Amino acid sequence: MTASEKTYLGVPVRKPRAAFFSLTSCEGCQLQLLNNEATLLDFLSLLTIVNFREAVSERSENYEIAFVEGSISRADEIPRLKSIRAQAQTLVAMGSCACFGGVNQLKNRFSDLDWVKKQVYGDHPIETQDVLPLSAIVKVDLNIYGCPIKKEEVEKVITNLVLGKSIDYPQYPVCMECKANQNVCLFDLGEPCLGPITRAGCDSWCPSNRLGCWGCRGPAETANVRQLKQIMREHGFSDEQMLDRLECFGGFSKFINELKNQ
Amino acid sequence: MLFRVFSKNELKNLYDILAVNHIVGPVSKGCNKNSTALYDFDFVYDFEELQLEYSATIHSLKRFILPAKETLCSFTLQKNNWQKHVELNAYKPIVYFGLHACDINALNKLDKVLAGKIYPDPYYAAKRNNMFIIGVGCTPQPFCFCHSMGADSVLHGFDMFLTDLGDSYFAEILSARAFECLSGITCREPGKSEHQRFLEVAQEKMKRFTCHVDTTDLTKILDLEFQADVWREWGEKCLSCGTCANVCPTCYCYGVEENVDLDMRHAAKTRHLYSCNLIDFAEVAGGHNFRPHSHDRLKYRYYHKHRGFVEAFEESLCVGCGRCGNACLANITVPEVIASVRGKEGYHG
Amino acid sequence: MVKLPFVDVLADKKNYMRKDDLASFEYTYQAEITNVYSLTKTEKLYQLQIIDPVERARFTFKPGQFVMLELPGIGEAPFSISSSPIRHGDIELCIRAVGNLTNFLTRSPRGTRVGISGPFGTDFPVEEMQGHDIMLIAGGLGLVPLRAPIFAVLENRSRYGNIDIIYGARNPAELLFTYQYDMWRQFDIDLNIIVDQGDASWNGPVGRITSILEDRIQAAENIGKNTYAIVCGPPVMFKFVCDMLIKAHLPTQKIFVSLERRMHCGRGKCCRCNIGSTYTCLKGPVFDYWSVMNMKEAI
Repeated sequence: MTASEKTYLGVPVRKPRAAFFSLTSCEGCQLQLLNNEATLLDFLSLLTIVNFREAVSERSENYEIAFVEGSISRADEIPRLKSIRAQAQTLVAMGSCACFGGVNQLKNRFSDLDWVKKQVYGDHPIETQDVLPLSAIVKVDLNIYGCPIKKEEVEKVITNLVLGKSIDYPQYPVCMECKANQNVCLFDLGEPCLGPITRAGCDSWCPSNRLGCWGCRGPAETANVRQLKQIMREHGFSDEQMLDRLECFGGFSKFINELKNQ
Repeated sequence: MLFRVFSKNELKNLYDILAVNHIVGPVSKGCNKNSTALYDFDFVYDFEELQLEYSATIHSLKRFILPAKETLCSFTLQKNNWQKHVELNAYKPIVYFGLHACDINALNKLDKVLAGKIYPDPYYAAKRNNMFIIGVGCTPQPFCFCHSMGADSVLHGFDMFLTDLGDSYFAEILSARAFECLSGITCREPGKSEHQRFLEVAQEKMKRFTCHVDTTDLTKILDLEFQADVWREWGEKCLSCGTCANVCPTCYCYGVEENVDLDMRHAAKTRHLYSCNLIDFAEVAGGHNFRPHSHDRLKYRYYHKHRGFVEAFEESLCVGCGRCGNACLANITVPEVIASVRGKEGYHG
Repeated sequence: MVKLPFVDVLADKKNYMRKDDLASFEYTYQAEITNVYSLTKTEKLYQLQIIDPVERARFTFKPGQFVMLELPGIGEAPFSISSSPIRHGDIELCIRAVGNLTNFLTRSPRGTRVGISGPFGTDFPVEEMQGHDIMLIAGGLGLVPLRAPIFAVLENRSRYGNIDIIYGARNPAELLFTYQYDMWRQFDIDLNIIVDQGDASWNGPVGRITSILEDRIQAAENIGKNTYAIVCGPPVMFKFVCDMLIKAHLPTQKIFVSLERRMHCGRGKCCRCNIGSTYTCLKGPVFDYWSVMNMKEAI
């Protein structure tokens, strides 16, 4: 059966031309896509990949879906992103850097960028600016959350995309999955955790490995941040500790000022 | 009901008799940061792992009978045709060694909805009918309000129930198979003094309850106080995280999801235990949400457990195990919520 | 050693007497989409035929009941049956494309196999209504669950008194089943249609459904004694309409409504459709208004 004839329940299944791009990032999300060898061939057969630096050598600028990982930290990335947007019908922000700025945006916490550069690069300064998520520059059609993204979730997203199903993420927080995994609550073990306010979908990846959540997937639909601040205090964690976590990936930026002023 | 008494040394023999089967029981899960011992239900591989004197487990038994995620059926698709394959996901009988009365009562309550007259759920029934249950007496903890909920003792739903008389166990026997098990160990019929001791133990237990819930006229009060402000106060604290429902031994709400495999030739229907506290629980197609606020959802949970279920089955869907309050990071506990709805002073909401 | 036996609940009659109930829980009839009609921009009428002839003959339902429709891997959702409960033909479902399942369905060609389970839920007691006048009041998509009771009543038209259909839609383009209006009128049904906003083609009344209802209530004789009402529409409509009917002395137990909720099982398990603590799938979707008044958050 050729690709164009593929159907599901009599409905033709699209095989979109897809390109993968990387802005400021560790490229870990792209690497994640190549994980899970058992399903890799089926996964790759859903798309016609025309640009994927980690996987294929051919290049083409003719694509419908652009998967962009990374954030914007240099001026030249802005026109690049805009040209991707101009070409792609669907632009997917892939991973915390693309969705929220990610770990890169931690430097935005410092008011003096020159001082930051000096600390990091010493006498070899490079060009850098305040870090922005993709949505600050272009319209983003779809976010794939996580640092890194979770392969199983991406498989589901792509399957639903080609079938024309909607992409729905859990609206509830990580606690839901953490409890389903029978974990002991990390607060009981003396560890701070953003699980109660962070969007689930990671299958409580970190808490299941006894590491408190750092909120890489951004806030759940009902993030009761104020209550979590109270809980952190009751468990002996300072407001600074909570802020460190909330600011780590940039997903909670809209809550930061409110918290600082409380 | 038949009764037997056996020496505590015989317990290992009882375990060994059943050890040819899979055994689930309370095991140690280390300590919390205050050095309090933690327990949970898990598979037991050695008699020494079994912690029958456990205080309470963090999670309920649901993982074994109502798993958080369960595939209901799978589909194989050809061009215009498809087949549905149903798998009940029960493959073996399991011995549950050391359940407290509240958890056995929880199963009995779940039976009413899931294995009752109307559309009995085969996935649940398949697991439920493959349970061999040995109950064990407990020591009331500061958070236990099972006595208020009438769930501190259990009359049915187990094969054998053990009560610690000090140097021996007093066994209540409800099934022929349990009787058969006891025939393999040294035991005898209890004498008058043991009857006496058994009743004393029950009385001593009663005295140790410190946590109570006033359930008098609760169904009416929940109707009357449907618009009460206290719900909003609790709603402000609620994290809408679903933890209470996850640890609850009787919460059974779920959501069904269908997914197509990457190969486009297979699909599956999965159910996920859900929680009525989660924001999209009552959202309908098109986006309207019947319970948009956390206080609406929190109130609904109480309304279902303490009113709706009572209306349907003349008993509450809460056994008073206190797990939800223990697990709630925002310290929302059933006794305090109900006291506040009743307008009682003293809850620190 | 005591080795416990494995109990197969679907096979072992001795241990579980209701194995047939258990086996049918997840059973779906396979049905084929035989025809699709576009009713409006967003609503289509799907005709479905159960493939197995024995199952097809056995499938009966009452007006107001619903089925769960499933597309493997895409989703499953409840839909009120819109076809005649008396004439055995194809099962007709009127579906608005709003979610995953319904959107996929609009792309499904004729001949697609779908899964159907049911029928589920309560029905409009059309037999109890014999000898009385009936007012059927629908807003928007609310006409969908009323089509089956309309069919049922038309089959025995002479056994009923006056029948009024009062139907409101946002605009003429959103009116459903327009091709049937003449047929309904031939059966001596008083069909009153009103739209919120008219257009060039529209020469009927414009306004709220309550204004027509007010007129009908005025015109009706002895409404409190002789009349049953069936109401379905958006949540805001229920309250206004039912309040007017109660004011006109219609007993609350003679007013029937059909409520809509999200359902994941249709079998009184998942709790998603609960109103207060009442399962819409078991105690509904058809409720009398007395029950509705006793449920929290119903409308």
